[in-house]
Amino acid sequence: MKPALASSPASVEPARKQPAIQVSNLSIVFDSNRRQIIAVDRLSFDVAPGEFVCIAGPSGCGKSTMLNTIAGLEVPFEGDILVEGSRVYSPRPDVGMVFQQPHLFPWKSVRRNIAHGPRMLGKSTTEANAIADDLIAMVGLKRFADAYPNTLSGGMQQRVAIARALANRPRVLLMDEPFGALDAQTRAVMQDNLLELRDRIKATIVFVTHDIDEAIVLADRVLIMSAGPGRVLREVAVKLPRPRSNSIMVEPTYLALKKDCLDVIRAEGLRAFNQSDAS
Amino acid sequence: MQDGTSARQEIALRIDGRGRRPDSVRLRRLNILVGALSLPLFVGLWELVSRSGAVNMVLFPPPTVVAAAVLEWMRSGQFFGDLLASLFRVTAGFIVGGALGVLLGILTGQFPVISSLLSPLFHILRPIPPIAFVPIVILWFGLSEAGKLFLVVWGVFFTVWLSTHIGVQKVDRGLIRAALMLGTPRRQMLQEIVLLGALPYIVVGLRTAVSISFYTLVAAELAGTFAGIVYRIEIAQQNLQTGQVMGGLAALGLISFLADRLFAALAERTVWWR
Ligand SMILES: Nc1ncnc2c1ncn2[C@@H]1O[C@H](COP(=O)(O)OP(=O)(O)OP(=O)(O)O)[C@@H](O)[C@H]1O
Ligand SMILES: [Mg+2]
Repeated sequence: MKPALASSPASVEPARKQPAIQVSNLSIVFDSNRRQIIAVDRLSFDVAPGEFVCIAGPSGCGKSTMLNTIAGLEVPFEGDILVEGSRVYSPRPDVGMVFQQPHLFPWKSVRRNIAHGPRMLGKSTTEANAIADDLIAMVGLKRFADAYPNTLSGGMQQRVAIARALANRPRVLLMDEPFGALDAQTRAVMQDNLLELRDRIKATIVFVTHDIDEAIVLADRVLIMSAGPGRVLREVAVKLPRPRSNSIMVEPTYLALKKDCLDVIRAEGLRAFNQSDAS
Repeated sequence: MQDGTSARQEIALRIDGRGRRPDSVRLRRLNILVGALSLPLFVGLWELVSRSGAVNMVLFPPPTVVAAAVLEWMRSGQFFGDLLASLFRVTAGFIVGGALGVLLGILTGQFPVISSLLSPLFHILRPIPPIAFVPIVILWFGLSEAGKLFLVVWGVFFTVWLSTHIGVQKVDRGLIRAALMLGTPRRQMLQEIVLLGALPYIVVGLRTAVSISFYTLVAAELAGTFAGIVYRIEIAQQNLQTGQVMGGLAALGLISFLADRLFAALAERTVWWR
């Protein structure tokens, strides 16, 4: 971390209406084989408390890198990330993460996977198990509480991963293409599940996806990113009524939004293609 | 609809009560029968060939002579002394070598500095067959038990060290990231994630080390000792007691087979989530 940036978190005003996440001027650079790869270039955006933001963009534009940096797993090259007003230095329990792969601990049962977080934060085993059992009920896996991850289907594993990320009651939930590896039908069910869950947990959610339909169905706002290094190309507010379900995909307002998004994506795709042709 | 039903009946007819197809059941029975007859068949053949006069009976005694030699070995009371001496060397060497291997494997796998310090040395020493150390072990330890133990520990250590080292390094980075996100402190990462993640590799390394400990036992006892199964084989060879030699080999084979089975059963339980 640059010393110039390392002002103490206490100096930040805890104003009531501050954004849940503030990303300002964020650049992330990787060194590989004496070559520097700029994964994210001066990216800025805010997420309001309780908002559900989806980030869509082409493969390799730096979505995962950006999300990992908000999570504190990666260090920014320059720029600032504030979560709930305080700077992110390392992973913190008020920020939860669901990865594209479930990454469940294979040696722990579903219940003990979910109880891991609370246990690490100093809760007793009984308390942690109680929290886990509530979440297991919430994601509909009561019958599988004592099962090991390798006996579950991909969709069930990802439900456990979501429940595990929620067990520490994070204020911010980051999701990196969590349904990317699932088939279309399971994915639709998972989207409905997530929409239901979100109405109960009231966390701020940043959700990365390739799938523009998924983005519009879930989000309050969709950020469309350019090809790498990623910038925000366009923000699309999704003013569709809630509670929502997957079935809004046939409404005319939905289709108009989708056309907007696809136009932006197509124009960007063409630009990126011509650029790579020229160079 | 009609077709579906008749197809199902067809399948039901072809599947027996245990849900297997009858011809596969017949094949399995045949295999079990052949398997049960295999050893008696070869032992019988051996008896016939030995007694036929086609080979020298002193050098190639029949199984009955071998059995008599083994019985004599047991009755003389030497057998249990030999067995105990050999088992002690193998077990103690395995435990010490295995424990050192796991410990150093975790250290070199987890901490790059320790790995930079020790791995080059280990990689140079590892390929030298333990038997090649017999001469220097005799110089250092004479014919004492310490020398025997040293050889077995040496053989076991490198296999277990390498597989533990690799296991620790191969622990899924995703699991570590997930654990970090859930508030796992870095200093608890070893016990919460790394050890369990590496466990399947450690178990495989230990299982390989079981047979290695028997190889090195042979080298250790040939280097000169006063009791032990391989020692007894060597003495019998000098006295041209071929039956006793073969009995010793059979005993060695049986013990190392049992040790491997025992360890396999134990390993099954150790990696409980599989
Ligand atoms: N550890 C790393 N070392 C070097 N380069 C990296 C590393 N991680 C990511 N990159 C590079 O950073 C860029 C962005 O990668 P990132 O994984 O963030 O893309 P993404 O938008 O998540 O793509 P996808 O949609 O395929 O998941 C890519 O060019 C990638 O090659
Ligand atoms: Mg990604």
